[in-house]
Amino acid sequence: MALLTVSGLRKDFGGLRAISDLSFELMPGEILGLIGPNGAGKSTVFNLITGFIPPSAGEILFEGKSILNLKPSAVVKKGIARTFQVARPFRNLSVLENVVLPALLHEPSRPRAEAKARALLERMQLAAKSGTNAADLSLSEQKRLEIARTLATDPKILFLDEPMGGLNPSEVEDACRLVQRIRQDGITIILVEHHMKAIMAISDRLIVLHHGVKIAEGIPQDVVRNRDVIAAYLGKRAA
Amino acid sequence: MTRILAAAGIALLLVAPLLTGNTFYQHLMIMVLFSTLLGTSWNLLGGFAGQVSFGHAAFLGVGAYTTMLFYLKLNLSPWLGMLAGGGLGALFALPIGLICFRLRGPYFSLATLAVAEIVRLVALNWEQLTNGPVGLLITTLPQISIAGRAIDWESKIPFYYLVATLAVLAMTLIYAVSRSRFGAYLAAVREDIDSAEAVGIDSVRVRVLALALSAFVAGVAGGFYALYFRYIDPDAVFAISLSVEMVFIAVVGGLATTAGPIVGAVVLVSVAEVFRERFAAGHLIFYGLFMMLVIRYLPEGIWGRLRLLFRFAQG
Repeated sequence: MALLTVSGLRKDFGGLRAISDLSFELMPGEILGLIGPNGAGKSTVFNLITGFIPPSAGEILFEGKSILNLKPSAVVKKGIARTFQVARPFRNLSVLENVVLPALLHEPSRPRAEAKARALLERMQLAAKSGTNAADLSLSEQKRLEIARTLATDPKILFLDEPMGGLNPSEVEDACRLVQRIRQDGITIILVEHHMKAIMAISDRLIVLHHGVKIAEGIPQDVVRNRDVIAAYLGKRAA
Repeated sequence: MTRILAAAGIALLLVAPLLTGNTFYQHLMIMVLFSTLLGTSWNLLGGFAGQVSFGHAAFLGVGAYTTMLFYLKLNLSPWLGMLAGGGLGALFALPIGLICFRLRGPYFSLATLAVAEIVRLVALNWEQLTNGPVGLLITTLPQISIAGRAIDWESKIPFYYLVATLAVLAMTLIYAVSRSRFGAYLAAVREDIDSAEAVGIDSVRVRVLALALSAFVAGVAGGFYALYFRYIDPDAVFAISLSVEMVFIAVVGGLATTAGPIVGAVVLVSVAEVFRERFAAGHLIFYGLFMMLVIRYLPEGIWGRLRLLFRFAQG
């Protein structure tokens, strides 16, 4: 059974239809890539599912139950965590505190939450920076901190919004390995990414959005040969 | 270190009024501690949770009127009335929080300003309940005795110890909050509301709770104000200037610090008195200038700066 079922999802911003009639399923343990040209509505899909903006129509089922109209904090408690496209750490708090906060969600005892946070920072190779202010981290460190922060909430599904944006090639490789390791821990992943090589390599399945409409879905090798997809990215003549 | 400072502070508070027989100085000490209470209340919401309120006098006023009316109309003990003032202040804060925390940043602050004005106008015009602009007056306070001795409410000393106790309790509350899980959530909300939500913190609930706690302290302070001055009217307890003063005390002392408000209160009450004496009618100009200098050169507040220096000295 699907872990997450999205059906007939629609979002209108005033007269602009950002997402129209989007349906898809997310299977337990898979890595699903969400791609599309700029402005296709990928981040909007994330915001709709994680409760940051309310949909105009449609249904979202998580483990068979509707999570429609829940607050973002309630969605997180159910087990769906997200990162932001531009990393948004608690800038004036220490790196450790950034991860302790989400750990407190399921672990009210502070020492145990702290132990959990330290273990996660170790895994993200941020242990040496625990005492630093989050604002002083490099971009790639901030991205890893953001992932550590979401993992601390014990998610079943992780929504990664451009985890590789702005990283250099060797950092992208590290990020790919990291995403795969997270999946091995039993966490289902859906990610938005512009780095085509990376997303082709790690996704089991791709969904392509264009102007808020799903134009293709399938395994990466098939999707990139799809005429509609090539037309969306490169123009009709190229297809 | 914190314990030593706290113990020294409490010892100082205990002996301070005995150092002078001058009732004017005793009055100033009472005003310092009353201001500490106000600054602490505001700091919980504005400093720790980062939600800047320009209308905190609303809660003070509700507390003051509750205490007065409970005594005058229901003949309840004014000391219980003071607690009831805090309770009603907190209760009054709940719907305001639930509505206003849908707004962010400057819009929340503007909404609080509007709320305080609305409450002031209601108090001015609801004459059956509040006596309108005429205000409410208590002529005598009921007798109570401690250890067989009747307390003399004509003296300032009992009021001093009452407000000192309240201020210490409020600071203890703040200290406890700052070290709790709730305090950590407040810091998260102050830093970034969306990120707080993204890690499972219900940002509206956390802020409403902070507002209610803050309003409770302001309400109790209002109750104290009513009993100490024995007279209130809407322009005194719902004044915008009072709301602004609460902001100043916390900002000058140090945002999101436990000791900040008492430092801010000592400095601001002293400065205000000195300027009033020295510059007479022009004193507010110099008070304003002083505020500008503090904000320009000590944005983290006096206590905030001292704490930084202290940590720096420790390495």
